[in-house]
Amino acid sequence: MLASGTVGYGGELSGLCDFSSVGAIVTKTVTEAPRDGNRPPRLAETPGGLLNAIGLENVGIERFLDEKLPAAAALGAPVVVSVAGDSPAAFARLARRVGERPETAAVEINISCPNVERARRPVWDDPDATAAVVAAARAATGKPLLVKLSPNTADALSVAEAAQRAGADALVVANTLPGMRIDIETGRPALGNATGGLSGRALMPVNLALVWRIAAGVSIPLAGSGGVATAEDALEYLMAGASAVQVGTALFLDPDAATTIAEGLRRRMAHDGVRSVAEYKGMAGRMST
Amino acid sequence: MRAEDFLCAFDAGGAFPDARPGQFVHVRTPADLTLRRPFSVAAVTGRGRFELLVRKRGEGTAALLSLPEGAEVSVLGPSGNGFGLPEPGERAVLVAGGIGVAGLRHLSRTLARDGRRQVVLVGAPTATALLDGVLPGPTTDGAVRVEVATDDGSRGLRGTVCDLVGRALEETDAPARVYCCGPQAMLRSAAGIALAAGARCEALVEEVMACGIGACRGCVVRTRTGYRAACADGPVFDAAELVFDGEERA
Repeated sequence: MLASGTVGYGGELSGLCDFSSVGAIVTKTVTEAPRDGNRPPRLAETPGGLLNAIGLENVGIERFLDEKLPAAAALGAPVVVSVAGDSPAAFARLARRVGERPETAAVEINISCPNVERARRPVWDDPDATAAVVAAARAATGKPLLVKLSPNTADALSVAEAAQRAGADALVVANTLPGMRIDIETGRPALGNATGGLSGRALMPVNLALVWRIAAGVSIPLAGSGGVATAEDALEYLMAGASAVQVGTALFLDPDAATTIAEGLRRRMAHDGVRSVAEYKGMAGRMST
Repeated sequence: MRAEDFLCAFDAGGAFPDARPGQFVHVRTPADLTLRRPFSVAAVTGRGRFELLVRKRGEGTAALLSLPEGAEVSVLGPSGNGFGLPEPGERAVLVAGGIGVAGLRHLSRTLARDGRRQVVLVGAPTATALLDGVLPGPTTDGAVRVEVATDDGSRGLRGTVCDLVGRALEETDAPARVYCCGPQAMLRSAAGIALAAGARCEALVEEVMACGIGACRGCVVRTRTGYRAACADGPVFDAAELVFDGEERA
């Protein structure tokens, strides 16, 4: 899957990516009203990673449904629509609107964007609040529901269990970690929003450990996300217990990374005499016992 | 040119579209970085052939410049909107600060090819920091006029390239189209002078870019009508639309 936020509404990658290698495109998160996003600068590179503070800039649900969703569906890969609201009711309205569209293969509930949340205890860190959001969205659509968790919580497993109990069909593990850089010449934060979300290879061991931990406690499938750039990275997530992976920041170097990873996995499977990637799933758990 | 600035030639094959002046390419450097690096196309030299001016500035540019001749790199592009060419009767005034000459070289060559007159204004901290040879020298027929400013006065006017802009625009009443490329403070000042003089002004902005194709919304600049992506809506903007740092939104 191509991760939310890195591929816009899909069409931007047209001609640069072989969509037949892509399990699904996850759109930029859509909110009810259009959002301008955060003030720039919005990007700061870090060793092995990237900080972003986009702030959920998006065209809003109306333009999304009119223009962006049909265009995304025309690319040939299933479209997962990422949505974010500021209340369970808003999530429900969004899930209903996108869920009733035939172009929508699944809905991704984004409770974990670190660049817009201002609450002392954000939804992603609160099992009850997570359950309320997921239950509301669950009641609003019959489409598969993915919930994108945050690594920025002490008890990710409780949040994951709450999402599962509330009706999530799968979990995306996980979003970015909060981070910061400072321009020492000016003494000011490098990002206009001061802090941003860390993605890329630097994030991978963190989210891999989360997949490992959550896979042991929930029964619904997990999509590993965070720093996947190669087939080997994808294999680590599968072996930790994920059923799929999302690729995001790696697309900035290689917009066709999905093809590179899929080809690498096929080579690896041929080498290992494995017929399905499912055979790798959770291998690390079996091997460590 | 200084020892850390290099005009590098690339051959992307005949299928690679010719870049318009002001467009850029997004280059995957051999360094272990998370992002590509955007470079203005400094010249188109043949089918699929182009030049980039690369200044050794960080890991990415150092790695790029360490490649042997003939090495392969991944290049995305040409991307972005590019400059609007001057209307018949409009005078082209090119304003370059420092490495900004890179963004104007292709435009300048195109104007020269089309037989358009141009005034080239170049500024740098010192004479040794001037990137001689990137922009054309003056021609005897007056088609290209060049003026230089250095902060220390070691060549040309002692001052900044912006000091040259007002004078160049006062010379005649002919409508001018001003093209600026350089650091943000220079863009802001040069654009202010050009707009106050009633000239049209286009500014090529430099921003950190991630996707380079308008998908991630990371490289936005502030405009009077909201945030615009430098990679997809720019990198050239009508200077009257830009809101520079420190300015309030209109």
